[in-house]
Parts: sequence; C-alpha cells; structure tokens
Amino acid sequence: MEFATYKNDVWGREVIRGVSWDLLWLVIVAAFIAIVLHAIYESMQKRGDNPSSEGERVTRHDKIDRAYHWVMAASVIALLITGVFPIIGIEFAWLELHWIAGIALTAAVVFHIIRSMFFKKDTGMKISASDLKEPFDNTAKPGKYSAAQKGMHAAVTVLTLLVIGSGILMFMEIDTPWWERTNAMAESTLGVVFFIHGITTLALIGVICLHIYFALRPEKLFYTRSMIKGWISRDELNANHDPQRWSPDETS
Amino acid sequence: MASFDVMPDVQLYQPVELDDALSLAERYGDGGWVLGGGQDTYGWLKDRAKHPQAMIDLSGVESLHGIRETDDGIEIGAMTTLREIIRDERVNRDYSLLAQAAGRVASPQIRNAGTLGGNLAQDTRCWYYRRGLACYRAGGNLCYADGPESMNREHAVFDASRCVAVSPSDTATAMVALEATMVVASASGERSISAEDFFVGPDTHITQMTTMDPGEILTAVRIPAKWAGKRFYFEKVADRDVWDFALVSIAVAMSMDGDSIAESRFVCGGVSCTPHRLTNIESAVRGKTLSEESAESVAALASAGAVPLNYNHFKLPLMENLVRRAMRG
Repeated sequence: MEFATYKNDVWGREVIRGVSWDLLWLVIVAAFIAIVLHAIYESMQKRGDNPSSEGERVTRHDKIDRAYHWVMAASVIALLITGVFPIIGIEFAWLELHWIAGIALTAAVVFHIIRSMFFKKDTGMKISASDLKEPFDNTAKPGKYSAAQKGMHAAVTVLTLLVIGSGILMFMEIDTPWWERTNAMAESTLGVVFFIHGITTLALIGVICLHIYFALRPEKLFYTRSMIKGWISRDELNANHDPQRWSPDETS
Repeated sequence: MASFDVMPDVQLYQPVELDDALSLAERYGDGGWVLGGGQDTYGWLKDRAKHPQAMIDLSGVESLHGIRETDDGIEIGAMTTLREIIRDERVNRDYSLLAQAAGRVASPQIRNAGTLGGNLAQDTRCWYYRRGLACYRAGGNLCYADGPESMNREHAVFDASRCVAVSPSDTATAMVALEATMVVASASGERSISAEDFFVGPDTHITQMTTMDPGEILTAVRIPAKWAGKRFYFEKVADRDVWDFALVSIAVAMSMDGDSIAESRFVCGGVSCTPHRLTNIESAVRGKTLSEESAESVAALASAGAVPLNYNHFKLPLMENLVRRAMRG
C-alpha cells in the first residue's frame, strides 16, 4: 500500500499528486480495531453505577459553544460526505457543496478562535503538567476537561487548521462566483497541497470515529447530553471532576 | 510524447456472440477496451496514452449490426457504421436529422469504418488530455486547458467543473434532440438510458464521458416514433469542412402545428462536455413561426449563462447565429 500517489508533470518530471486513498480503508480498519479493543478493555473493568443525572444541575457548555460544536460537526460531516463519497464510487455533483461546507467550517473555526482568545477568560483546554498524570493515577480527577478530551481537542485543532489551510489553497484553484481560477500554482506545490488535504482528512476520519465512539459510551453519555442541553448534574460533576480545578455555576 | 506506427502488445478478442463479449468485458473490467470501428482507439494505443490489457472487438457480433423497425420507431445496432445510417432509407425518410449529423462526421473513409456506438461513446478531443497529461480527466489534480496561456478555443463554455473538455460526437446532439434511448448491456443484465442521461459531465463523472461503467457495452440506440418525419435542422461549424470536430453544432427537432412550433428540442454540440440542450430557446419558440423576426427574438438566449474561456468567446455569437439559422425556416 502506497502512502502517496505520483504523476509526471507537464515537463515529464515525477511530482507528487496527492495522498493514496487506499489508506482510507486502513484508517477505517485501524479505528475499528482501536474501538473494539477499548470496548473489550472497558467491559473487563469493574465500575460502579453511573452517577445520577437527577438533582442540582451545573452549566458545562454555554449555548453559543454548543451551537458552535454542532455547526462544526454538521459542516465536517458534510465535508466528509462530499469529499470522500465520490472517491469510493458514489458519484454526484459534490464540488460546490464541498466548498460551501468548507466556508461554513472556516467561518465557525474563525469565530471559535476569536471567542476563545479574546472573549473567554479560561477555555479549560490548556494542557498542563497535572493533566499528564491523569492516565497513570486512578485517584486524579480532571478539571473541566480530561487529558483525553484535551488531547482530542488539540488533535482536532491541528488537523482542522491544516485541512482548512490546504482547502483554501485548493479553493483558489477552482472557479467560484467570486473569482476565476488562475491555474498558476506549480504542479509539485499543488500535489503537496492535495497530499496535506488528503492526509489530514484521513487523520480526521480516524479522530472523528474515536470521538463519536467515546461520545456514545454509556459512562460518557452525560458529556454528550451536556453538549445538547448544556448541563450536567452535581453528582456527575463530583464523580468525574475535581471541584478544586473546575467549579461551574449552578444552572436553573 | 512518443507515437508509434505499430500497435502495443495487447490481447485481442473477437467474439461473435454478445454474451461472450459481455463476459470478456466483465472479466477485464477497467483493463478491457471495447472496440467498435477503431477510429477513437488506435490513436490512443499508438500514442501509448492508454494501456488496456485486452481489446474486445465487437465487429463479429452480428446482433449489434443493422437498423430494425420497432413498435415505436427504430433500433440501430451500436456496430452499424455511419455510412449505413447515412444511406438507410428509413433514417433518411423519418430521422433525417440523424442522417445529416452522421454525414458530417469526420471524412468518408472514417464514416465507412466508424460505428454509431463508437461515435457516441468516443472520448473527448482535448489535446492536453489526449497527449497523456495527468489532468483531472486522467485522474490528476488540475486542468491544463484552463490557464492564462492555455489553448482552449475548442473547449467548453457551459457546465465546466474543473475539466473544460467538450463532447466531440456529432451524432450525440441528434440523439438528444430525437429523445433516443441508449441500450447498455453487461453480464448482469441490460438497462435503458435516455440519451440526455447517457452523457455525463465533469461535475459528477470527471473521468468519463458517458454513464457506462467498465464491463458495460452500448448495444443499440432506440429512436422513438414521436419525432419521425418532423422538421429538422442540423448544422456543424468546424475549421475544415471534412475530417474535423465541431467548434459548435446544432441539432434541432421541431413539431409544427400549422405554421407554429408546437414542440421543439434544440441541442448544441461543442459547447459543453455533454450535448447542451437549449431549454430556454425551446420555451421561447413555442407558438412562434419560423421567420427572421422569430429568429432575432430568441437568438440571444442561446448563449445565456455561458462562461467562456480565454480563447473561445467566439462560440457565443456562433451559437446565437446557428439558432437564428435554424429559426429562419
């Protein structure tokens, strides 16, 4: 299985064309194996009952953050459907839908960056030394986000910025309502851009598979609920988080 | 690019039964090359720009030859030569649009050997693509024909999506105008596709000209009686009178109610990757008579929505003029 595909440019020189899409199946199989192994491991762990969702509620996600999350999720899913389905043989007029979804994702990410940098005191996503102890210490509880959640956020941040950056360069190379393509980019550079876009897409597919899996695990479902409704219960907070590191406001 | 006088080493099959041809097409899939009259084949192979494992020559399959009457019009076998179509009495009497279109294909020698199926299913003539460059249509990641210095006077002014190649088939425009149905067979069965859906654009199928998949063979074309004996107009504008592809062509079928147009189909070739229907013209001419006045009133609609490239703006007035000429009567 090749990592990249190559072609001859107009001068007959071999240049990179893009990622090898055979890797898609490797990513899907690898994600599936990782999920199965984790599920088996978790089923062998002895756990008590999940904390109650009844009683006092505390705010975990503001409305605006939840809206951002779901706009991003919808645009990423639209991008994956329009970008990957034609590659696996499901043919339709995908290009316009793809760049429209790409613009939606870019706008959402720009909004999130500005809000996180200038309008939020603490996003709770900064990775610190104490986060690194969590996986090795069963008694250590996280602040608002666990080390795994922060790691997932960091991976999605890097991959999304790379896929958006390469996507914008590719967007310049097609005709749109606002400009006509120039076809001015060197073929070797274009191939690198296609490769970055493809490889980050593949990585995002793997990360998204894991993200969805963890969002649907029984002991994590309260996080998914909080991303829809905004709150978790006081019991869930106490059972999963260190109140010294995260003390959210009570919600109505 | 190297070009050779001799054919490359390729396995040649010459089945005499359609079932054998279909099982060969299924067995070789992408690596199989279905051979009609060979007029679009030998160039590809001699230029070493395509590398099929096997050629499946359909000339010996008798059921693919000939023109037959059906309950609703005629059926033309895909291996029927263009010359046979041009000379067929029924075609000339009822579907002269097709006879005219076939009569403008390439040269007499090519029409003697070239088949209807081959003419309909032929690949685009974009020379960047045919030179063997790894463009979008060849599975690459750019279009060499749409750049600041690209030579694109023959290319598309409608419906380009990354690739700007056009359909080169003269008979395709006539088939769309006549509401023909393509019969496509494979080892798993047969399907009928309207001519309009048979040709596909780069927005959905950037590496294909038709909706046929590997393993499928175009076996026949059925033309309904609906347009038999109606009023037709065909004109092809090319750089040369013979042995050349259309810069712009037009195929028109009109059903008249007295002096007025009751229903019509206007189809342009050479302007898009598929035969390009002028539906706005079809609506505009309904109820009009064939006259200079009518021609003037609708001609400008022909190029509405066109997006010309650097060197093919001339196609816009050419389309308009062809519509004018079709409407003069």
